[in-house]
Amino acid sequence: MVGWTGYFLRINLSSKTFKKEAFSEEFAHKWVGGRGFAVKILYDELKPGIDPLGPENKFIVALGPITGIPAPNTGKAVVAAKSPLTGFYGDGNLGTKVSDQLRKAGYDALIVEGRADKPTLLYIEDDKVEFLPADHLWGKGTYAANDWIYGKWGKGVGVLNIGQGGENLNRHAVVRSLEGRAGGRPGIGAVMGSKLLKAVVVKGSRPIPQADPALMKTLGQGDLRKVGEIDKQTGWSIQSTTGVLPFCNEVAGLPVRNFRKTHHPDAWKVDGERLNNARIATYGCPTCTMRCGITIHDHEGRESELDYENVALLGPNLEIFDLPQVGSLNYLCDEYGLDTMSMGCTLSFYADAIDHGATEGDFKFGDAERAKELLRLAAHREGKLGNLLAEGSRRMARQIGHGSEAYAMQVKGLEVAAYNCKFIPGQALSYGVAPIGAHHREAWIITFEIKHTTRESYGPEKAAKVIELQRIRGGLFEFIVACRFPWIENGWPLENYPKYFNATTGLAWTLDDMWTVADRIYSMIKLHYLREFPQADRTADYPPAVWFDPSNADTDGPIAGKILEIDKYDGMLQHYYDQRGYDRRGIPTKATLAKLGLLEEAAAAEKFASLA
Amino acid sequence: MKVTVKLIGPLIYEAGFSEKEIEMGSGSTVETLLEKIRLSRPRPKVVIRNGKAVVPNEVLADGDRIAVSPIYSGG
Repeated sequence: MVGWTGYFLRINLSSKTFKKEAFSEEFAHKWVGGRGFAVKILYDELKPGIDPLGPENKFIVALGPITGIPAPNTGKAVVAAKSPLTGFYGDGNLGTKVSDQLRKAGYDALIVEGRADKPTLLYIEDDKVEFLPADHLWGKGTYAANDWIYGKWGKGVGVLNIGQGGENLNRHAVVRSLEGRAGGRPGIGAVMGSKLLKAVVVKGSRPIPQADPALMKTLGQGDLRKVGEIDKQTGWSIQSTTGVLPFCNEVAGLPVRNFRKTHHPDAWKVDGERLNNARIATYGCPTCTMRCGITIHDHEGRESELDYENVALLGPNLEIFDLPQVGSLNYLCDEYGLDTMSMGCTLSFYADAIDHGATEGDFKFGDAERAKELLRLAAHREGKLGNLLAEGSRRMARQIGHGSEAYAMQVKGLEVAAYNCKFIPGQALSYGVAPIGAHHREAWIITFEIKHTTRESYGPEKAAKVIELQRIRGGLFEFIVACRFPWIENGWPLENYPKYFNATTGLAWTLDDMWTVADRIYSMIKLHYLREFPQADRTADYPPAVWFDPSNADTDGPIAGKILEIDKYDGMLQHYYDQRGYDRRGIPTKATLAKLGLLEEAAAAEKFASLA
Repeated sequence: MKVTVKLIGPLIYEAGFSEKEIEMGSGSTVETLLEKIRLSRPRPKVVIRNGKAVVPNEVLADGDRIAVSPIYSGG
């Protein structure tokens, strides 16, 4: 087997032991890496019903066969665990030097088990693992902790760390790296915190195994240069992801006021043009030639790195149209190690609940200063309110009651990304069937809906488009572990990725082979879900109820008077299930699982629930 | 007749403006409008009027707001 190191590093924090574990070629070919490794390891090793914040949960860092190799945008890692936010499999990816350092240390994945008896920093260098005390870092934000790590080991090491949010088990806590990157929206940072694991530092010195290093070098480095040249021609990274903000505003798809409104006349004040004008620096992940991280000075004069999701959900969604103030909210989330997107939705839910009389409080839309204080409370779980906000919008709504669950903007517990689907049916479906909750990573079809079909359609073509994009975005890029941006934003041909994969593994896979792996992984996430929630039905794949509520329709603009229709949505959902080979609950049938080589996994699931 | 054009993302730097009102002849189409604003780089685009995509031969009306965007893909 080439292309993989062939080893996992398993570390137990309770016993302070570790071992290097070989995995088979069959395992590598079936699950490939990244999300594939994580979903399989957690399925086999976690008992259903365990506390995600208990020592039985496992924190996984998983890489793919092209991760860390100089080829277009391979500087990524997948982090995963049973999610404390959603209660089943959760993951995310982030740009990090762990991508190449862990592979150079000789591992394709890291499995962290147990719970340390005091705050700990794991230091991994090739065959060596040290359990170092981290009491002096506990209580510190991600920037300060990262600075200390760089001061001790230099900037070449790979770092994953958490802030106060993770330490205090805020369910929106993320894993941070490179002082500007974050991943693991479903509370993976809180899983690190529950294990008293402040940081993982990795240094490797071995070559990453490749079948044809000479070909990979020519191909990879040449293509990296070309990706950079294309980006200069398209101009995409001038505004990076924030270019999409005025598009959303024009098509009535922007989240404004907890998604109550879909457009706003002041949206231009926080758009990509203003962001580019305020730019003080640009950052990117390792092996990237189209860097997307734009920093500005926030309201307090600190450097804050912004992208579309955090601008939209901490800005217009809270009716804050002051870019430096949005920068401040983003900075605080980054410093505390909180998911900017979910925290934006949880704060907007709180303001909306107060606005609708469901609860009492002093937070109003547009109040940036109070929002900063609420972030501090949530990160530290300070007082009753801090504890409430740290739970996420779904749990908050269940506590608050008075019908507020309808406008908690989440699916399966994970908050909705920054596209308002009040009248964008196909993207609403994409959120509904995103396997880990309402993440935009899995599929995004708004331009397709507007340009190539009708906005009013709930037809099978939209379900098919969601599946096509899930296979690429939530599948391919998450298991080979590379950034999707060269392909998705600048049209870098998808056919290049099997070339990189084959040059490093010596295999001769096509994109069709990749889609099989992608479908296998999606089915496995559904089995995780079924095992944890055996009584769940298809309504778990519905978007937030407020999008079906006629009283929530826009009163002006392009979609005035229009909302999603629940019967038609359900019909479109059935198209998705039929095309996927899922039953009426949205669970893969036995025939589908057999086709994907998952009979053993199906038998394991049947101990807890029936399969069709 | 007058039409307001809103350019999105990198198109702003190609055309040299972000949003402006443009005087068009009666019966002008989306295609003639695009020719007039002179975007230098050929690329796939979506043209939006009132929240919906419009085709190149769509006839414009006085007071229209037309947004021209590159094909975004949701990051």
